Amino acid sequence: MRLPAHPATFAAALAIARRDLLEFVRDRRTLVVTLLLPMATYPILALATALGLRTATHEIEARMAPVKIQVGLSGPEAARLAGLMQRVLESTPRGERGGWPAAVELADVTDADAAKLLDDGAIDLWITARRGLVADLEASGTVRLPVQVSADRPAGANVREQFVAFTRSLGRQAARERVRRAGLPATLLDPLDVVFEGDRDGGPPVQTQNVLSTLAGGVLVLLTVLTLTGAFYPAIDAIAGEKERGTIETLLIAPCRLIDVVFGKFLSVVAITLATLVANVASITATAAVALRSLPQGVVATLPEGTLALAAVATVAAFAGMAALAAATCLAVTTASKSGKEAQNTLTPVILLVSAVAGTALLPGMRGGPLLAAVPFAGQIVVARLALGTAAEPPATVATIVASLGISLLSSLLFTWLLLRLTTHGLADEDMLFRGPDVAGTAFHRPVRRARPNVIQAFLPLVAGFAGLWYSQGLVPSDLVQAIPLQQAVAVLLPLAAAMWWQRVDLRGTFSLRRPAEGLGSTAAIAGGALLGAGLFVVGAAILLAFQGDGISTEARQLSARLVSLIQKQPWWLAWTLIAVVPAVCEELLFRGWVLAGLAGRPKPGGVPWAAIGIQAAAFALFHLLPERMPQTFVLGLVLGTLVVVTRSILPAVACHLAHNSMPLAILGLAGDVPDLARMVETGEAAGSGRLPGWIVAAAALAVVLGGGLVAAAVRRSKFSDHPRSPLP
Amino acid sequence: MAAEPTIEAVGLVKHYHAGDGGVVRAVNGVSFTVHAGEMVGLLGANGAGKTTTLRMLATLLKTTAGTARVAGCDVRHDPVGVRQQLGYVSATTGVPDRLSPREIFTSFGRLHGIPPDELPARVDTLLRQLDLRGCADRPAGRLSSGQRQRVSLGRALVHDPPALVLDEPTNALDVVGSRDLLLLLGELRAAGHAILLSTHRLHEIETRCDRFVIIHDGRVVATGTRDGLVAEWIPDRAGELEDAFFAAIGRQAAGAGGGP
Repeated sequence: MRLPAHPATFAAALAIARRDLLEFVRDRRTLVVTLLLPMATYPILALATALGLRTATHEIEARMAPVKIQVGLSGPEAARLAGLMQRVLESTPRGERGGWPAAVELADVTDADAAKLLDDGAIDLWITARRGLVADLEASGTVRLPVQVSADRPAGANVREQFVAFTRSLGRQAARERVRRAGLPATLLDPLDVVFEGDRDGGPPVQTQNVLSTLAGGVLVLLTVLTLTGAFYPAIDAIAGEKERGTIETLLIAPCRLIDVVFGKFLSVVAITLATLVANVASITATAAVALRSLPQGVVATLPEGTLALAAVATVAAFAGMAALAAATCLAVTTASKSGKEAQNTLTPVILLVSAVAGTALLPGMRGGPLLAAVPFAGQIVVARLALGTAAEPPATVATIVASLGISLLSSLLFTWLLLRLTTHGLADEDMLFRGPDVAGTAFHRPVRRARPNVIQAFLPLVAGFAGLWYSQGLVPSDLVQAIPLQQAVAVLLPLAAAMWWQRVDLRGTFSLRRPAEGLGSTAAIAGGALLGAGLFVVGAAILLAFQGDGISTEARQLSARLVSLIQKQPWWLAWTLIAVVPAVCEELLFRGWVLAGLAGRPKPGGVPWAAIGIQAAAFALFHLLPERMPQTFVLGLVLGTLVVVTRSILPAVACHLAHNSMPLAILGLAGDVPDLARMVETGEAAGSGRLPGWIVAAAALAVVLGGGLVAAAVRRSKFSDHPRSPLP
Repeated sequence: MAAEPTIEAVGLVKHYHAGDGGVVRAVNGVSFTVHAGEMVGLLGANGAGKTTTLRMLATLLKTTAGTARVAGCDVRHDPVGVRQQLGYVSATTGVPDRLSPREIFTSFGRLHGIPPDELPARVDTLLRQLDLRGCADRPAGRLSSGQRQRVSLGRALVHDPPALVLDEPTNALDVVGSRDLLLLLGELRAAGHAILLSTHRLHEIETRCDRFVIIHDGRVVATGTRDGLVAEWIPDRAGELEDAFFAAIGRQAAGAGGGP
């Protein structure tokens, strides 16, 4: 048989895709769950929504509907007041009865039995017409009209609102009488008559509310989730399923590159995902066409004229990119799994996480610019919303929509490609392919004693810490004396302690618990770190003042104010411990100890793990939650990480962090001499001049240079030039 | 017999990192050859390194050291070429349940680049050769173990490779299924294929293989024909291959080295 040297790359991928698609189509159960079930749920969802809307509308209508009001009148002028009211009831034109009750029935009652009639529900309201009431109405003052309601069966809001509308007409009638008696023209009461002109058809008959953007937001997030679920089962079947059935080896010995196998798998998964997307879009459109007919009166869901085609094309194109991204994501996540069950366990939280990311596209700020379109799983919704418009803004210009779509598609393509490379890498991993029952779960197994955590384990206390930080926000007391230790414990120490116990790492190596150098060198390195920290705080503050100005959030200002209050009200040692010592020790152990050690791996002579330093610095910046502080904390994180790597000791980093956090206390002590800096610390905003005194910035820059020089000198003189080798793996 | 072996393993080594930080030496310098028209049995106990060796030959595992060649293609430098020249049947049946034998052969034929106009004829030939015509269009999940194993073999043969590597192909089969499969392999050998199969069911292949390679603890402890091995390892009495096998791995286990 004549065979080509190697089958063409795309032909091999296509052959795999055809095989997988055929297998998937034969799996009727999955086909129904993936394709048909979502389609069948739309009519049910639409029906439930329509019924809910109708019920809500009925309740509103029932509340607004005119009612019959029984009014009991007593007192010496009851008959005269009844006469006035009756005249208003009979003479007010229909057009001026806005908000009126359906009927007002007047009844003569006595003061003795009025209260009982109210409580029995025979009358809704009771008015005692005092002597002189009608005369006062005819005079020039404002008449107070007490209306009694039952204490046991108080009249509803609709009764009160509608009676007030009626009495407004009564008052207007009285005003007209006053004007007439004064010999003044009746137009005195109607100085303006506003008329809209220019409308061909006289303007809209009723006020309408366009709910398209509100509905579209929810539908787009739902569509994202459905796109992900469209990729869910085929992706699990594509790799984990093949491993479970023992057929993966037959594909891996195909005469093509591994990336071709992965690309073939991707083609089949993306084809099914797209089919799911199309089926869902068709179902949503058909359901919407039916459901939107039964919108309540005054509510519409339409696009501005001429924008439908562009909005549809942009949305479908962006979501096609999302289908590719979803397929690649699900494939990458399930590659490490050895069975369908394991893949489901791994993929489900990822789907939830990605759905949460998609939900962020509905936040108000996410319509800000086309660059947001690059955010995976949220950018596609951003594009669609730009094209559809929101309640606050009309659809964007064609150029903006096209640019956003281009960015979104490029981003989808890039992330898809990266994820496919990751899948290929995972598929080539012999451990994942052949060994162990659950390689993906090894991060969660308690390992044997080891020198340092691995990359996945490095992130575990961080994830737990972030969760702790987030959830503790609502639990911690407002008093910082209690809040700071509690937050450091929940977000740093507890996750770190749990990780240390679980992972059984060598603490000395992981946390770099050693002197940075010998003798004076050690002191020089620690002093250098402290100078660096102090200088960096002031330089960072100067940059913040120069560039950020008034753009500081309320949260940042509130935090600054609370810190200043802590410094001013507590003994200096307590404030210093809470603001400087506790964070410096706890955060250095977590970020420059555990995280950096895990990310950097085994030290290599002469090598600096820049990626590890950068990632831990980014995590450190994110950990401080406030966006304003992130650039400064990121730079600080870089310096601290570098200090640990070059000195192979955590002590200079702790000194640096300690000095950095001590500066607010030092500055407040000097507040009288350096008012701008003190104000910056106090309020978190730029002072009047917008700049720090030059000598302060120069001194801080000098401290940075001097500190860096001291550390460099200490490292150069250090006899610990060789990396300590742990006997542990 | 051709001078150039179709399958040639040269000092194959495979080390793994164990979970406890140690190193597992699964295969430690295995060398052997299989020529065209020859069927060689790779024998060894569980964990001896048979599957790892075969996976290195099939390019499923990277070699730690040493190399192997299949029809002149080196597993390290030309893995795609090796896969083009090799038919591999794994220890698991490796047959998609929802596809029929015809669909499986067709899809793998496409994957191997068989021209579309030649593919149906090739698939029909295989179905006939493997006696699968009666169930050619039935989903593989409904086939018997023997039929599934033949489908697996057909999938490996679809591109008519000169070399065939089978990892414990008779494991899931009954006596009849095993005999049928081995007869089929005999026919393929006669057609000029170089066949390497691993097994620990020695009695099944004792008279069917031309030569045997016995490995233990990742090392080759004996090679030769059935009679040669018996004569070499149990010279003082008449015996079977199984006796020679136990003698070889027993001697190795006792620390006597790689030969008598």
